[in-house]
Amino acid sequence: MNLIPLIIIILPGLANIFYRVNIKLAGLVSASITVLLSLLLYLQLPLEGLFYVDRITWVFLVMVSSVYLLSTLYSWEYVSSIKNRGISQNNYYLLLNFFTSSMFFSLVMNNYGFMWVGIEATTISSALLLITEKSDVSLEATWRYIILVSAGVTFAFISIILIYYHFGTLNVYTILHSGGSASLVIKIAVSIALVGFGTKVGVFPVHTWLPDAHSEAPSPVSAMFSGVLLPVALYVLYRIYEISPFPQLYTWFAVISIAAASLFLAYQRKYKRMFAYSTMENMNLALFGFALGGVGVVGALLLLVSHSFGKAGAFYSSGNILKSSEKRDIAQINGIWKGMRYTSSSLLLSSLAVTGTPPFGTFVGEFLILYAAVSSHALLQFGIVLFFLMAAFINVNYNVTRMIFRGSGDLKEPGKIMPMVSLISSTIPLVIGVVIIGGFFNVLV
Amino acid sequence: MIPVDYAIFLIAAFATISGFYIQGQEYIGSMVNGQLIQSSIIALISFVLAYYEHSLDLVILGVLIAFLRGFLITYFLDKRVPGRMTYVYETNVNVASLLLIDLAFIVVGIFIIYSLVFTRADLITKFGPSSILVFPLSLFFQGLFLIGSRRSTFSQIIGYIEEENSLVLFAIFLVPVPIIIEASVFLDVLALVVISSILVIEKFRHFPMEELRG
Repeated sequence: MNLIPLIIIILPGLANIFYRVNIKLAGLVSASITVLLSLLLYLQLPLEGLFYVDRITWVFLVMVSSVYLLSTLYSWEYVSSIKNRGISQNNYYLLLNFFTSSMFFSLVMNNYGFMWVGIEATTISSALLLITEKSDVSLEATWRYIILVSAGVTFAFISIILIYYHFGTLNVYTILHSGGSASLVIKIAVSIALVGFGTKVGVFPVHTWLPDAHSEAPSPVSAMFSGVLLPVALYVLYRIYEISPFPQLYTWFAVISIAAASLFLAYQRKYKRMFAYSTMENMNLALFGFALGGVGVVGALLLLVSHSFGKAGAFYSSGNILKSSEKRDIAQINGIWKGMRYTSSSLLLSSLAVTGTPPFGTFVGEFLILYAAVSSHALLQFGIVLFFLMAAFINVNYNVTRMIFRGSGDLKEPGKIMPMVSLISSTIPLVIGVVIIGGFFNVLV
Repeated sequence: MIPVDYAIFLIAAFATISGFYIQGQEYIGSMVNGQLIQSSIIALISFVLAYYEHSLDLVILGVLIAFLRGFLITYFLDKRVPGRMTYVYETNVNVASLLLIDLAFIVVGIFIIYSLVFTRADLITKFGPSSILVFPLSLFFQGLFLIGSRRSTFSQIIGYIEEENSLVLFAIFLVPVPIIIEASVFLDVLALVVISSILVIEKFRHFPMEELRG
């Protein structure tokens, strides 16, 4: 048995042994090692046994470990300066580590039942992180997160029971290599999974927890939610979808969700809520790509990877602004360019990244997904998605440029590590895009 | 059907009735007790089936339900009722109209899920055709309705547990999933209830908030 996936799961949890000594540093060390191990794992793919890790899983593992590292680093300054704490600093790191472990568990287990358990465990471990900055609003958002997500994910367990009923096993590898099934039972299971796991992915109309949790969570946690938690749920949903693809249902749900997210996004007054709806839009675009199959899957993976860093950057930048101004409204933030050079650069870069601007990696991903839609003759869906992507692009970038360039502000950077982490995270989607587009032109030449 | 099948149908019907009982309560203490009764009924079904099928897994499942749902979850919830006063109740609840809406919601829900979907899938349960699945499904919709119709944290937690109970019942009737997974699910739910019970202290009731609108 390959031990690397096991080590990746337990390492963040292991950091909690240093709860009373220096859990902050232990978390940072464990995050760095998990990034290295995740990268190393590529040499041993594919894995099958207790764990199931193929190239798709590997992409998600790298995403989770990288954003975990960035968030742990960002939390270093962010959490220590919180005034009204709902949980202690050590508890924050303890939960963050367990939260990451549960995401790794969901990704690598070779069993649909355990995947479900892992997804439910992410809710348990992350719920109290939302009240790190305690207020009546954050308590309400936490409760909504717990009850809505749990109720939704519980529904997904019906699909796990139906899969077991049909195949007599929950082994992912065995089921995916059994040649699929056209049975109505499995079609029902795949459909129920869309509503159940879709709650965590942010599929309309079961997305309602998403803007509340993202806007009220501390920024490094919002980054983890947007950047990796939702993609992990999407990964589990995709693994179920693979058993018996049901493209009509999935693509239409994704298209309607993109349209809804884009409309909600248009009238947001708070910047973190605006980015939350942008996450909903991107997750559903990735779902659209997965449902289309072929080059759409490649596009979805590229979109998810670039989005995870871009959106983490957007939330880190939001955290910097929130720390400096203590204001959440877009209209109350002006001219941050003057005093916050790093933050304004990272905010601009990340907003361009999450809206799929060329040459960011998200653009390449979106392009491939739309190409897959045209190739599949899904022209109506293509048209709707294109329209709402443009609408979201205009809305997000209009609001962000207003915050950065309009008027003159007197905000200052809240620290040294936070702006640097924001900038690094926001730059990665650009690097991904440039490398891919550059590589593509090299092949052409 | 053999006599034991009739017995199981009858006990399962009591699980649904317990759902209506919970829905009809204003007092938190009574709702917690309703949850205890419901979990005990499901544990009983598991024990009865274990006896007739000579299944050790179903015995373990029954013990897990009785201990984790029946005892531990009830204990945690009961401990969190403010001041452990039995008269804590939810205000502005019109029980009669809620029960009627609940009934309509269940009938419509079951009609859509069961009649239009499940019957076409030819699901074969331990008791022949899938009609017995109506009981877990009705319990599931009752749990959902409780979450949607009430404002107190307690009621919503109990709604969630009811949803989980329905899935256990669904799996017992259709095909019990491996016990290791079932046990993990139980522990997950227990942990979630513990986390929720921490929040109960801070926030007892839930109302729309301007900051979370849109």
